[in-house]
Amino acid sequence: MTNRPARNNEGFLEDATTWSAQVAEDIAQEDKINMTENHWEIIWFLRDFYKEHEMSPPSNRLFVKAVKESLGSEKGDSIYLMTLFPGTPAKTACRIAGLPRPTNCL
Amino acid sequence: MTDTTLHITNKAPDHPRFRYCLSAFKEGDALILMEDAVLALTDQEQALPSTSYALSADAQARAVANRAPRQQLIDYNDFVQLTATYSRIINW
Amino acid sequence: MSTLIIIDQSPYGSWAGREALDMTFSLAAFDQPAALLFVGPGVHWLCQGQNADNLGQKSVEKNLSAASMFGVEDILADAGSCARYNLAIEHLISGTTLVESIRDTIAGYNQVVFAG
Repeated sequence: MTNRPARNNEGFLEDATTWSAQVAEDIAQEDKINMTENHWEIIWFLRDFYKEHEMSPPSNRLFVKAVKESLGSEKGDSIYLMTLFPGTPAKTACRIAGLPRPTNCL
Repeated sequence: MTDTTLHITNKAPDHPRFRYCLSAFKEGDALILMEDAVLALTDQEQALPSTSYALSADAQARAVANRAPRQQLIDYNDFVQLTATYSRIINW
Repeated sequence: MSTLIIIDQSPYGSWAGREALDMTFSLAAFDQPAALLFVGPGVHWLCQGQNADNLGQKSVEKNLSAASMFGVEDILADAGSCARYNLAIEHLISGTTLVESIRDTIAGYNQVVFAG
């Protein structure tokens, strides 16, 4: 395993600049996620979202809404996103994307 | 149900939100002054709508109750009654 | 049921407005009609070109720009307050609507709530 950046008790990066595609793959592996193009599409969407709005989508529902607005209703669908990112998709995807924890995700 | 609003404010009369509250007031509405807002009872620069009420406990605590005969002082029971009378409540 | 959230405090000085923004986004998340009205110094939330990096805070302008994506119906600004602070519509984030009367604006909502 490569050099692992510091993370908090929920697995989110302490320092956003330590993120790389390899770090994303490693974090995904912990959730038994093998990163495919479909996963990466969402990860890059989230990173763009963060750049534009300086926040992670605050909740899972808003994550789904934002994906829908940007990538259409096929991808902006809670089942689709849950299949890609099991658990709480917004939380899991933000963790892999190297973004802060969504504020309202329980 | 008619569209009437009960405005409630706890802001002193020179707080900007007190001004917004009065500017939003329309005929048929009522105003409850509580906490610092009861100072409006003796404010010489600020006219209040005729349907204004002030919480007696707050007015007595600040010694404005006895100097404000024209305004109706209410207790907590009256307060509850009023909240049930209007179709909408805004806390300013 | 529609809710108007009024922000009448300037950004960065306190957390009250951010809490109001969270509330607005939460309403939108559950498809509850919600709109934001900025009055008084609160209109500075809408100014273009904010940079809060050196405060160690996030730009409320950028946060706010996610509102329509989340389904917040309207972003309104009190025209009189904008005039007072010398803000024309082109200084404000896109999608902002100026309103002339707070009284007429709030009449259109079932619930009116404040930040802080």
